Amino acid sequence: MKILLGAATGLWALCGLAGTGVTAEIFSEQERAIIQSFGPWPLSLNADPSNNMSDNNAAIKLGKALFFDKRLSKNNDLSCADCHDPNNSFADGQALNSDHGDAIRNTPSLFNLRWSNWFGWGGEADSLWSQSIRPMLSPEEMALTGEKLRNLLDEDRLLASQIQQVSGVSIAAETDEVLFVLIGKLLAAYQETLVSEPTAFDRFRLAQETADLSSSTGFSNSAKRGLKIFIGDGRCFLCHFGPMLSNGEFGDIGISQFISKGKIDRGRYAGIKILKSSPFNRLGKYSDNPEKVEKTRTEHVTLQHKNWGEFKIPSLRNVSKTGPYMHNGSLATLADVVDFYSNLNEERLHTQGEAILKPLSLSDTEKEDLLSFLRTL
Amino acid sequence: MKKFLVSVALLVAVSSLVQADQSKKLFDTHIHYSHDAWDMLPPKEAVKVLQKAGLTHAFVSSSSDEGTQLLYKEDPNLIIPVLRPYRRRGETNSWYRDESVIGLLEERLAKYKYAGIGEFHIFGNDTDLPVMRRVVELGKEYGIFLHAHADAEAVENIFKQDPQAKVLWAHSGFEGPGKIGEMLAKHPTLTADLAFRNEHANTGTVEKDWRKLFMNYPDRIMIGTDTYTPERWYYVVDHADWTRGWLEDLPADIAEKIAYKNARKLADWALKK
Repeated sequence: MKILLGAATGLWALCGLAGTGVTAEIFSEQERAIIQSFGPWPLSLNADPSNNMSDNNAAIKLGKALFFDKRLSKNNDLSCADCHDPNNSFADGQALNSDHGDAIRNTPSLFNLRWSNWFGWGGEADSLWSQSIRPMLSPEEMALTGEKLRNLLDEDRLLASQIQQVSGVSIAAETDEVLFVLIGKLLAAYQETLVSEPTAFDRFRLAQETADLSSSTGFSNSAKRGLKIFIGDGRCFLCHFGPMLSNGEFGDIGISQFISKGKIDRGRYAGIKILKSSPFNRLGKYSDNPEKVEKTRTEHVTLQHKNWGEFKIPSLRNVSKTGPYMHNGSLATLADVVDFYSNLNEERLHTQGEAILKPLSLSDTEKEDLLSFLRTL
Repeated sequence: MKKFLVSVALLVAVSSLVQADQSKKLFDTHIHYSHDAWDMLPPKEAVKVLQKAGLTHAFVSSSSDEGTQLLYKEDPNLIIPVLRPYRRRGETNSWYRDESVIGLLEERLAKYKYAGIGEFHIFGNDTDLPVMRRVVELGKEYGIFLHAHADAEAVENIFKQDPQAKVLWAHSGFEGPGKIGEMLAKHPTLTADLAFRNEHANTGTVEKDWRKLFMNYPDRIMIGTDTYTPERWYYVVDHADWTRGWLEDLPADIAEKIAYKNARKLADWALKK
């Protein structure tokens, strides 16, 4: 019976490929297993236990209104949406945003954040609501003060009453910190709904799963060869794995940490310090989960030498729409990213650090194939 | 009066504690000042970083050696040169096959004073290649130590070539405390640096097995940062603070040896002081 099944699988692969006119790109059983591990998409929509307003329709609606509300900034001139533009995959398309001060990190897309464990390039936050508080308080960004927020809620009684109704919290009696937490949780409730659509790659993966390869016509032979590099010699999938196409953790690939001469972005190292000292982390009193089951990850984070210069390994979903790339936006295009890995500068890596990183030394055709694949994600 | 005396005693005690904190000496055995650091962090600034970290001395080796000489000129009391066999940092995997390295080492050793050769990367039987064999000979000829980023097999091979070699085992070979202890027991002239290691003090206090190692070999362990990119220079101060933190968890005499005395002793031996 086992032999019969094996033969049937082999036949399926050959028939399927013949059906799409592909003769060269046959995926092995192991490769097909890896391809299947990139789905299904989307993942199941579980509420964030640390946020009582997660998956609450009224909170999502109110959070969306707040996301576009410029009054959450010091001078009423900046909303979340001004940097996280819905027409730009909720990013800004700039290397470093200079429209509202000089940003030192690239603005990431907000798609699919509900499935992240860490937030920000250095993982400064362990929840989406905590991360949403950061730009409001940052003097370089929205620079919102407790006083300004309280005045806003005093003036806009409708908004105040909506927040009270949705959260069940009587805001007049609460501290500034609680007010920021409520706004952060409402913003998070909305951002959790930002889920990217299934892609050409998802359709190809599903077609492989169901053996209905007629539904994967948008996946070119070049993309298939690129996929083979991604899960083969390129070793890309060792960090960019699972349906999110990211392990959700941090890595040092040798991108410069210099912001300017004498000024350094400490990356994950500073991120852990900020996370651990934040009153808004999952270990603190503002988490809504009394059991705090999900706090374990935060509890066990320890500062390591390797964290110096590590940055978040981003999801590759929608990657062709979220350039420029890297924490400092230093790579303008996806082709630049492929070139970067092809010519990876090993001098910048510790010999005991990211041992899986080696220059890919790709030919022009291989680069084009890898790009073709990345564009399907 | 009694109250006053107690207060004075407390004041003295507190003062000496503050004094002790400020004077906790550290000798960093693992500093590089390579070609790509010179622009972003000129020698004067680099020395300031080491001073800010409160280091008494540092073994400095660079790719190329020019970086070490630049720092040495800036502060000859703080910097103790170690000769790295690389012209660029990217030669970590190729230097031992490049026989022109021998001439480079001989020329620099004749021209400048060094406490050691290293930090070099060598693994397994690559120690048998002519370049590495000559490195071991040069260590013996000049009476200086070898700073080896090596696996245990390569360390064993070095001792086969020269049983009296003084080897400073970089990162202690990324081995656990058991293996490091085994190697220290077997080779009396082997010493070990803890650069880029966290495991011995992940929680800020010394882990049980590592404590045993430190108590068994208090004269053989040293600390180091490893500034392998220019950006790592900005980590030296944080690393020094972290090191002082976990050293507090050891008996004071042992902590002092690991912090600076062992490295000082090795430097004095190499520099014939």
